Amino acid sequence: MIRQPVLSVRNLRVEFPTRRGTLVAVDDISFDIAPGEVLGVVGESGAGKSLTGAAIIGLLEPPGPISRGIVELKVRRIDNLPPSQMRPIRGKRIGMVFQDPLTSLNPLYRVGEQLIETIRTHLELSEREARARAIALLKEVGIQGAERRIDGYPHEFSGGMRQRVVLALALCAEPELIIADEPTTALDVSIQAQIIQLLKKLCRERDTAVLLITHDMGVIAETADRVAVMYAGRIAEIGPVRDVVKDPHHPYTKGLMGSIPALEGAANRLVQIPGSMPRLTAIPPGCAFNPRCPHVFDRCRVERPELFPIERSHAACWLLVDDTAKATA
Amino acid sequence: MSAAPLVEAENLSRIFDVSKPWLNRVIERDEKRFLKAVQNVSFAIARKETFALVGESGSGKSTVAKMVVGLLPPTGGAVSIDNVDMWSTADTNERQKLRRRIQMIFQDPYASLNPQWRVKHIIADPIKAFGLATDGAEVEHRVGELLRLVGLDPADGHKYPHEFSGGQRQRICIARALSSNPEFLVCDEPTSALDVSVQAQILNLMRDLQDRFDLTYLFISHNLAVVRHMAARIGVMYLGRIVEIAPTEELFRAPQHPYTRMLLDAVPDLAMTGRARKMVEGEIPNPISPPPGCAFHPRCPLAFEPCTVKIPPLVAHGEREVACHAVEAGRI
Repeated sequence: MIRQPVLSVRNLRVEFPTRRGTLVAVDDISFDIAPGEVLGVVGESGAGKSLTGAAIIGLLEPPGPISRGIVELKVRRIDNLPPSQMRPIRGKRIGMVFQDPLTSLNPLYRVGEQLIETIRTHLELSEREARARAIALLKEVGIQGAERRIDGYPHEFSGGMRQRVVLALALCAEPELIIADEPTTALDVSIQAQIIQLLKKLCRERDTAVLLITHDMGVIAETADRVAVMYAGRIAEIGPVRDVVKDPHHPYTKGLMGSIPALEGAANRLVQIPGSMPRLTAIPPGCAFNPRCPHVFDRCRVERPELFPIERSHAACWLLVDDTAKATA
Repeated sequence: MSAAPLVEAENLSRIFDVSKPWLNRVIERDEKRFLKAVQNVSFAIARKETFALVGESGSGKSTVAKMVVGLLPPTGGAVSIDNVDMWSTADTNERQKLRRRIQMIFQDPYASLNPQWRVKHIIADPIKAFGLATDGAEVEHRVGELLRLVGLDPADGHKYPHEFSGGQRQRICIARALSSNPEFLVCDEPTSALDVSVQAQILNLMRDLQDRFDLTYLFISHNLAVVRHMAARIGVMYLGRIVEIAPTEELFRAPQHPYTRMLLDAVPDLAMTGRARKMVEGEIPNPISPPPGCAFHPRCPLAFEPCTVKIPPLVAHGEREVACHAVEAGRI
């Protein structure tokens, strides 16, 4: 990539200090997002997806989880900024969209007040200019009768419409990056399709980079350019979405893809990954996936694999580099 | 279907009174308000068949499930299982005998297990309630057998529900449902609270158990891919009515009702085939004041004059039934 990445994450690690020792929820994660690119982060519950997002915008505050590593927004480090300098970045340069649109809007304030407040916090506009901008934004996210509905309360909007308002809130200061954490999980499938299309369209128009966190591989396949598959706090595989979906290299990604019932083809027995993801208290040594892996061999149980390049992707699996194992797999 | 169906629902309807309290109505001059959650739903499920109901939130799927198992009295229509009416007073004795043969699996495995009971007691409860085994050792043996059947260890019976993961809890729910040797299981979104890899385990388990015990399933889900994987026939619901019933293969190959088409188009394209898709428009209307005529007409690309006036009846075309004026008029 010739262009500077918008976001660059290096060796991100999130730890929970507990009485019984330190739990590592996100372990040594690195990735870049280019302008206008959508990077999907997919994984099952407890894989560390949401913590990654929260750590990037500095929402993890002591004495809770501690994050280490380097987060750069347009080549400038933001992970070590004091709260006073981080606050203007959140909302202005990085927008957020959360899963539940009802909890991310304040039920006691009109939608317009929330939009105008956010706009005026980040941009130097008069009340009237901010209101005009808020109406324009609401129109852009597809809310009909925006002039009237701007004075409505969140409960007067349906789930899909609320998520559109949240999207307008995230976009109101023209951020360079949007972190969307399960933005469509609470919505019905027909509404989900609308919101995905909208998110894609708006970000393409503005060249906004998106970090899309979801458990739904279908949403990723629709929306993302590249995808990182997370397992037990680590990236198992990262690469162009088409490659990862169609031709995964990591045994976990293969299992995950096989376990999703398809809309096309024969309704065969689903691929089953035995067992479940380890708890944070009991992440096995070596590769975290080794107890469930059908191709496990000695090295997997001892040494942790790094991300090895394979075709256009990277995957953290010893099978890719160990020739003797390759022969037997 | 040659043999008589095991489950038959006929014109099943359920209306909820959602009016404000009497005093408010008097003071504010409000009318009574009714929510028609389910209207004239009819279907039949053959023995050993899986019939699925699919639809978005508020389409009435779960209300149908509750009426079928006998948890919620219908306000109209009837359900009969093996020719015993689930709601008429005449069949009370028959119905008691029927109870053992029907079980239900719920969506949320966290809420459907009593947190204060050990797992072995949870599973043993139906066995004792139906008097299937009286002797303690016999019950314990049966519980162990059931736990093994769903892929858990008999020793797990001593634990409490909170010690298990979501997928394991759903396995416990299945073991409990199977403990009375039922023939008919109603599964209301059994995997929607689970991760995909766990969902795959549960779906595979449910199919294995069906083959092994000749179970009949009524499977309720909002996930079309899951439904396609499990069911032989599918009923698509929209705002309390079935708009299309068809064998699974046919429904996915050539969906007829515009809503079914829209729903299929809205599913993310995981195979990345790049199939052409129409953008979905609008949202489900408020069920308290549904649009007149066909409830789907404000969102329907094929709507024409009769759709706004008359509710389309379900019309059979071979094995398929569709409720759409446009389909009948050959506008598709």
